[in-house]
Amino acid sequence: MSAKYLSVDNVSMRFGGLLALDGVSFEIERGSIVGLIGPNGSGKTTMMNVVSGVYKPSGGSVTFEGTRIGRVATHDVCKLGIARTFQVVKPFVNLTVRENVAVGAMYGRYGAKRRGSAAFARADELLEFVGLARVAGRPASELTIPDRKRLEVAKALALDPEVLLLDEVMAGLNHSEVDEALELVRALKARGLTIVIVEHLMKAIMSVSTTVIVLAEGKKIAEGPPLEVTQSPQVIEAYLGSRFAIRHAAERARSALRQAQDDISK
Amino acid sequence: MKAARAGGITGSPRAALAIAALLVVALGVPLLHNGYYENLVRGILMFSAMSLGWNLLGGYAGYVSFGNVVYFGIGAYVSAYLANHGWANVWVDVPAGMIVAALFAILLGLPILRLEGHYFGIATLGIALAVQELIANTDALGNGSGLTVTQAAWFSQYYYAMWAVCAYAFGLTWLVATSKFGYALVAIRENEDAAAVLGIDVTRAKIAAWALCATMAAGAGGVFAFSNGFIDPPTAFGLEDNVFPIVMALLGGVGTVAGPVVGALILTAINETLWSHFPQIHTLFFGVVIVLVVLFLPRGLLFLAGVKGGWRGFVRGLSAYRV
Amino acid sequence: MNIINLAHGAYLMMGAYLSYVLFTSLHVDPFLSVPIAFAVMFGFGFLVQKYVINFVVRAPMLTTFLLTFGLSLLLVNIALVIFHGDSKAVAPAYTGSHFDLGPVTIGWTKFWTLLVALAVTGVVQLWLSRSRTGRAIRATALDIGAAQLSGVRVANIYAIVYGLGAGLAGAAGVLVGLNQGLNPSMGDPYIIDAFVVCVLGGLGSVQGALVGGLVFGIVEALGSQFIGSGLQDAVALGVFLIVLIVRPTGIMGRALV
Repeated sequence: MSAKYLSVDNVSMRFGGLLALDGVSFEIERGSIVGLIGPNGSGKTTMMNVVSGVYKPSGGSVTFEGTRIGRVATHDVCKLGIARTFQVVKPFVNLTVRENVAVGAMYGRYGAKRRGSAAFARADELLEFVGLARVAGRPASELTIPDRKRLEVAKALALDPEVLLLDEVMAGLNHSEVDEALELVRALKARGLTIVIVEHLMKAIMSVSTTVIVLAEGKKIAEGPPLEVTQSPQVIEAYLGSRFAIRHAAERARSALRQAQDDISK
Repeated sequence: MKAARAGGITGSPRAALAIAALLVVALGVPLLHNGYYENLVRGILMFSAMSLGWNLLGGYAGYVSFGNVVYFGIGAYVSAYLANHGWANVWVDVPAGMIVAALFAILLGLPILRLEGHYFGIATLGIALAVQELIANTDALGNGSGLTVTQAAWFSQYYYAMWAVCAYAFGLTWLVATSKFGYALVAIRENEDAAAVLGIDVTRAKIAAWALCATMAAGAGGVFAFSNGFIDPPTAFGLEDNVFPIVMALLGGVGTVAGPVVGALILTAINETLWSHFPQIHTLFFGVVIVLVVLFLPRGLLFLAGVKGGWRGFVRGLSAYRV
Repeated sequence: MNIINLAHGAYLMMGAYLSYVLFTSLHVDPFLSVPIAFAVMFGFGFLVQKYVINFVVRAPMLTTFLLTFGLSLLLVNIALVIFHGDSKAVAPAYTGSHFDLGPVTIGWTKFWTLLVALAVTGVVQLWLSRSRTGRAIRATALDIGAAQLSGVRVANIYAIVYGLGAGLAGAAGVLVGLNQGLNPSMGDPYIIDAFVVCVLGGLGSVQGALVGGLVFGIVEALGSQFIGSGLQDAVALGVFLIVLIVRPTGIMGRALV
């Protein structure tokens, strides 16, 4: 068995009386794009927080290349090679866009070896990559929503990560902006990153993920290639309710029956 | 380090250079042999140092401390104590006081800097009051009656000592503002969670900032004990010494290098004018000044220059905080 | 409401001096001055909040802190000019009289002070929880935006709450002046203590403030017994820090939003 890259082992997360995650396990392979989906409240963002070390799991563990994430201090997680964006973006509003990204380059995985000027140079590179070069000198407070999302990604990239966790990066974007975002994700994969995306947008996830994991009420209910997962009755039930699931199953049964009848009559 | 835009986080490099030039000029004041001016400028240097100290933690890191005067008092008492026990040398006692203050800050910082903004502020105020009380009850430190400090024959050395402290504070602030550490502090101020995720050890950074800030205030206090000749708990931990540096930083520009010094200059000028013309109610006028500064210059003079839209922009900016 | 009010001590002082003036010129019994002081200080606080502090209500805490500090300086110095710095006293005829409750001697003044304090607290708690305005206040404390959308005039709510605080301080001031004499800086020790008590009891809970006050009083008394009476502030701070670190929500409070 090959060495595990990023593995989530039986992770549970409890907040007072609320069990947000209940024994979730999955593996992430290097170089893959994993989509994490589920209805509201299913625990997706909690899962992200556990994997990125923001929360320590109440049970189970997350291991990245042999290191237990729960044992590492928040500011050391990026030194391991894991970076994330936040669903509610957290820019440094009183700094310029360039400065925002430069901070990450100063303190990220290779930050200690970088002098200030090198950090700014790296920031310029990354701004070019995500498409923010034109606003590099403006204060972050002046950015539009899609640009703020780009900034979040740029800041995460400044940490020189191997694994990038994107938390609802596409929320609030229109069609063309979503397409641009997907292009960015593919470009990142081409650069060798492993990416975990949490999204509500089904189309986005399906078009870009190698594997999809579905959470519902804190449990993992499906895992596999995108197409397979969307056909799974449990997933449909989780998203659309049991009445629909039953109807859907009835539809499929009827069409299967029709198909069988056609076959017999041939 | 070449910063991203003019000034980076120094606020205004031009203002900083102007202040540096002024500092050099200030070296010449004792040569005028004028006691009044020497005292006046020494006071400005003292408040500048304290304001710069406060500004490092409060302006750059965003942790507003209302009890920095505790370090001033510690510095003063260390000087006084050493002076009364055979070490009456300002050039030795002041660094000693700075070291004690830094240790105090590091020890206290571990629990206190974990507190959220409001609580942190009040906790620092409480610490100042508590330490003042503790000292007032300690025989070895003169209890409530205080300690006297014998002053050396060459009085102007205290001016130079205060100048050295101020130059130290100013230089250190400039260094921080033009280094990676400065950006770490600003990141903490802007969004502490994001800063931690970006790899900044926020606890270590905050404690370091507070320790540095403590040395600046303690240096000022250490020299003050000598120049004043006497300290007691109210003098060493006075509320004015606590609040004036904050107002000065606010007036000049919070989170800039030159701001605190600019504020110290202006506020001292106002104070002197008020004192000479309205001795009775000068504290009252000071209350008015504070209220006016807070209402109309929430980010200080140095930012005023950059406000867009002239008068209307200024007025619009004022109502940004209304409900 | 997330405003740190350093003028609290000044309002206490103003209430006390109000009762002093009423007592010396109109012979109004200080206990009767309590509701008067409350009303006057409420009005004053309301106006101060609405027309001065409201400008910077959403600014960083430093701004409101300094503003209220400046106000405090102003008010204390005005009092200094009008009444001078020497201590005054409010001494109605029944001062000094006491009654015995078993082995314990209780001064009448102190006794009534306790009852009045309890009564005032009870009334405020009832009003906050039952009245429409009270509900509006709690809504605003939880979420300004949502409250505004529900039709709450937030600026007025802030003014009412601040006025309430000032009124209570004024009322308390009458009681303090009665028991301990008056001078312009009499309010100073109470600023920190008030905050400590609130945190101790739990910010946002009126019963908490009461419990906190009780606990605090006991701790202080014990502290001065065993450690020495000069160290009250140190004790206050010690308690405050311990509570903050161990249980930030206080004894009875919910977490600050």
